[in-house]
Amino acid sequence: MARNPLRGQVAVVGVGSTPYLRDTRKTYLGLGLEAAVAAIKDAGIDKSEIDGICGSGRDVFSVGDATYLAVQGALGIEKTTWVLNSWLGSCFVYAAQAVATGLCDTLLLVQAYRRGAEMSQSAAADPFRQRAAALAGPGIWRNTDLAQRWYHNGEPYAAWMARYMHDYGVSKDVFGRIAVNNRSHAARNPNAAVRTPITLEDYHASREIWAPMQMLDMDVPVDAGEALILTTAERARDLPGRAVYVDAMALGGTRIGEFYENGLGWGQFSPWRAMAGLWERTDLTVDDADLFYPYDGYSINAVAFTEAAGFCGPGEATDLFQSSWDKEQNILRLNGRTLVASSGGNLSQGRTGGSGYYAEAVRQLRGDCGDRQAAGARTALVGAGSFYHDPAAVLLTAEPR
Amino acid sequence: MSVSDDDVFERFPDVLITYDNIEHYRGLLQRRLLINRCDDCGYWIYPHRPLCPQCWSWSVTPTEVSGHGRVYLLTRIQHTRANDRAGQRQGTVVLVAVELAEQPGLRYLSTVDGVAFEDLRHDMPVELTWIERDGLQVPAFRPAQLNEEAQVG
Repeated sequence: MARNPLRGQVAVVGVGSTPYLRDTRKTYLGLGLEAAVAAIKDAGIDKSEIDGICGSGRDVFSVGDATYLAVQGALGIEKTTWVLNSWLGSCFVYAAQAVATGLCDTLLLVQAYRRGAEMSQSAAADPFRQRAAALAGPGIWRNTDLAQRWYHNGEPYAAWMARYMHDYGVSKDVFGRIAVNNRSHAARNPNAAVRTPITLEDYHASREIWAPMQMLDMDVPVDAGEALILTTAERARDLPGRAVYVDAMALGGTRIGEFYENGLGWGQFSPWRAMAGLWERTDLTVDDADLFYPYDGYSINAVAFTEAAGFCGPGEATDLFQSSWDKEQNILRLNGRTLVASSGGNLSQGRTGGSGYYAEAVRQLRGDCGDRQAAGARTALVGAGSFYHDPAAVLLTAEPR
Repeated sequence: MSVSDDDVFERFPDVLITYDNIEHYRGLLQRRLLINRCDDCGYWIYPHRPLCPQCWSWSVTPTEVSGHGRVYLLTRIQHTRANDRAGQRQGTVVLVAVELAEQPGLRYLSTVDGVAFEDLRHDMPVELTWIERDGLQVPAFRPAQLNEEAQVG
């Protein structure tokens, strides 16, 4: 069992610096790696002990930057349970907090700065600096390179749908059942954007976007906002409303990320790392989940989170969904009971990342969901995030344990 | 044939060229598919990075690969996003991640030539070829010819 209660002891045990020069002919990543290697060696630890990374900057997708997405893979660190990018003074605070709260035990903090193309005339004349200013970040939509375009697009998910069906010899029904389930729930949610019920036949008839991915495998873009207020359990007891409680949580990194690189296989992506990190931190098990919220930016994300959570093994969701199908309501009841995506999810309520699921889980556990309230729901499991970045596994309970 | 940094920037006007990846693109202009390889432990490093993730050697050399491999991932992009200018210009494109014969999990992202999307199969043996796009010769993969070399991987 991994550590979960918060503790307050944090120490700095290693330090590493690069030379400070006007032109190192290195990327942000190269600079960050040089400092990281020096600091790890200074601390006298092995890289495998690192399970948290605070990277540099604010944009997760800044390719060539010393972000956690790049640093982890570049250092060959197999798995992490806490990552974040930050800068200026706040990065140290986040790093100390992460250790104090038990989300990671040994944290690598990396910061990198470069002379930007806008900072001097000579820098502006340097083609490497020009190109980094023009084509990283938002410039990706002008990028013509197939590999550079692959990341943070939907194409990998379409390709993984095909690979999944090939590897496990299953049809697209496994994805279709997620689409149908979520729409059936949305039909009962007055705050869902798309509420017309669909069947598996409707799913299969929908337009193909990126083979073999279809329109109904993709989330519904909406304008929406979500907010939560979090506080300590002690403070919550003094407040008038009902609270729900975090039982355990984990993030999950892998060594694939920066470019959505393809080196891992099914069952090794971030959802599995996050869920494994969660179950190491609680005595509850997947069988205790009354409600389950698997992220569904694409239907295959929800299949992955279902398997990663342990409802079944990798590649076994087809059988699980068939045996768990409630034909009267056209919804899933995993292992006969656990409701899935009771709000309709990103596929039907609308695209708000994981935030809609956190909100729905809180409302269900407080008993505020009216016609679609799950009777007696005490425990909600949320799994939200990409195969490649920012996955979270969070277990919420109606009472503090 | 030498290719200067300026040549690389000019011939790939809409590609992010960095200190870490420029040798790959310089290689493409010479019709050579180069992947970084660790001089100390032999590990192939992709995407293009300056440090071996296995042994932390900084001695990394862009090295030509055999061009043999198998299709690991495949998809066809029929529709591009509204703000994707480059994608709209490219139109429908088939994308494959080819597991190169050199190392398990070494999967190079590319496109195909000489095979219809419907005829592509997972794990199909393929080999490197070169096609023209935007006035450049760029790598693509075609079904492997059935000779002994194609059995690699």
